[in-house]
Amino acid sequence: MSDYLDILSVLILLSSFILMANKRTKSHIRTFRIQAAMIALAAGIMGIDSLYKEGQFDLLVVCAVIIAIKVIYIPRLLKKVDANVEYKVEKDFFLNIPILIIGCCFIVVFTYFSISTSEGINAGTLNMRVVNSVSLILIGLFFMISRKKAIGQIVGFLVIENGIFVTAMFATQGMPFIVDMGMFIDLLSAVMILGVMVFKINEKFKSVDINKLKNLRG
Amino acid sequence: MINVVYAVIQIIVLVLAAPLVNGIIKKVKALTQKRKGAPLLQMYYDLIKMFKKTVVVSDVSSWILKVTPYIVFSTAVAAGLLVPVTTLIQPGWFTGDIILVVAIFALGRFFMMLAALDTASTFGGMGSSREAMISSLIEPSILVTLFTIGLIAKSTSLFPIMNFMKSTGTPLIHPVYITAFITFFIIIITETSRIPVDDPSTHLELTMVHEAMLLEYSGRNLALMELGAAIKQLVFITLLVNIFIPLDQFIGVTGIAAVAVSLGLYLIKVVCVSIIIAVIEVNTVKLRLFSIPNLAALSFILSFLGFLQYFVFGR
Repeated sequence: MSDYLDILSVLILLSSFILMANKRTKSHIRTFRIQAAMIALAAGIMGIDSLYKEGQFDLLVVCAVIIAIKVIYIPRLLKKVDANVEYKVEKDFFLNIPILIIGCCFIVVFTYFSISTSEGINAGTLNMRVVNSVSLILIGLFFMISRKKAIGQIVGFLVIENGIFVTAMFATQGMPFIVDMGMFIDLLSAVMILGVMVFKINEKFKSVDINKLKNLRG
Repeated sequence: MINVVYAVIQIIVLVLAAPLVNGIIKKVKALTQKRKGAPLLQMYYDLIKMFKKTVVVSDVSSWILKVTPYIVFSTAVAAGLLVPVTTLIQPGWFTGDIILVVAIFALGRFFMMLAALDTASTFGGMGSSREAMISSLIEPSILVTLFTIGLIAKSTSLFPIMNFMKSTGTPLIHPVYITAFITFFIIIITETSRIPVDDPSTHLELTMVHEAMLLEYSGRNLALMELGAAIKQLVFITLLVNIFIPLDQFIGVTGIAAVAVSLGLYLIKVVCVSIIIAVIEVNTVKLRLFSIPNLAALSFILSFLGFLQYFVFGR
């Protein structure tokens, strides 16, 4: 079982690299959906394990909620937002793609050197997957600051949240149920508000390029 | 004796099965487009026909154009001799490892690009400059991937690597090998000029890479070039299936029957991989030429990530 979780942690990290290499908003949303599905799979595997060993089904409920919110609802919402926003900006990112990907790789190396040497409760076996998950958080942040369009930034925000969730799940074998649910409700409301914000930005500035927000200055 | 048997089996399997891979890929593509498609053995008929025809060589070209088909074909076969199709026949010699395989392919490719420049046609020059760009971009990821596996198996020679992978059981459930596997798929697609990088079925001038270099050949020379390309593709598929999907350890019988079963399993694996390649080819569109560095960067970083996971997971 631990082999499958190792593989899933690597594949989740890989999906964030693929997200970084994507150019179009539609493929961002699709890659995010695949990443969320893999996280749900990891939660499901851990949930079945804990049900089998300790008789707790918290993680299985979390898995179902991830599938409902992150795999089905949020991508659909983002697609709807994307369909209503007209394309004005052809080039979406500040740096070119090879440099972005190499930057991501440096993030992973940096995380490896900063976490693998740490001592404390997570020293030892837990370090391995935590390296991949913490670099997922940082790559999400990097994704957010490297994109110009608002929808790309929402996806970056969601990747950061995925990273935090995966880190917590791999480090603690499942957080308290109420904390997970609170995180998801926060996420849901944040994405809904951000979606409305993108509509408004588009309406006001005729574009979702966040560079144009500087026009507000007096 | 065992060396002769090994060489004969390698050459027979690689030369005879190579055109079949192209046939399967074309057939799957045709079936997805609701066409009947050419028969599976079409490439064999084409090759036999081309071997019978006379060769026309441009009279402004030098000796390079004449020797290139033989060099390309023989480098492909020579590299094939170093990549065992079955691990059950161990030859006595151990010269030659993965670095030599990559170098032999580079030699063949060098002469192919030189010959394309030789006749001074515009398409040849265009094709060879593109080929030089793509191959130099993808070569680091081949070497990093194979070195990572070599680092774990503690050898760069292919027999020890494959024997080590047999002892790991199921290598694909492992964080290092899964990244190496995905990287290797990108490498196969790039090296054999399949769709996201190059379209093998087109003769549209602006998009050709590999085909542009073959425009000047005819008759026997063209047949040798196409057979060489097919063998190269099969050698890369062999590397993929025999390193990452070893099945030889599950064979119960011994002796000649074991070799036959192993070759059968090998052919089944090759057919499965060519069907997967065909499905990828159907589902993607050809990338712009200037987007290929992005794909190459992604494959290099995936291989590097696998290398890093070896240290992260430490096994």
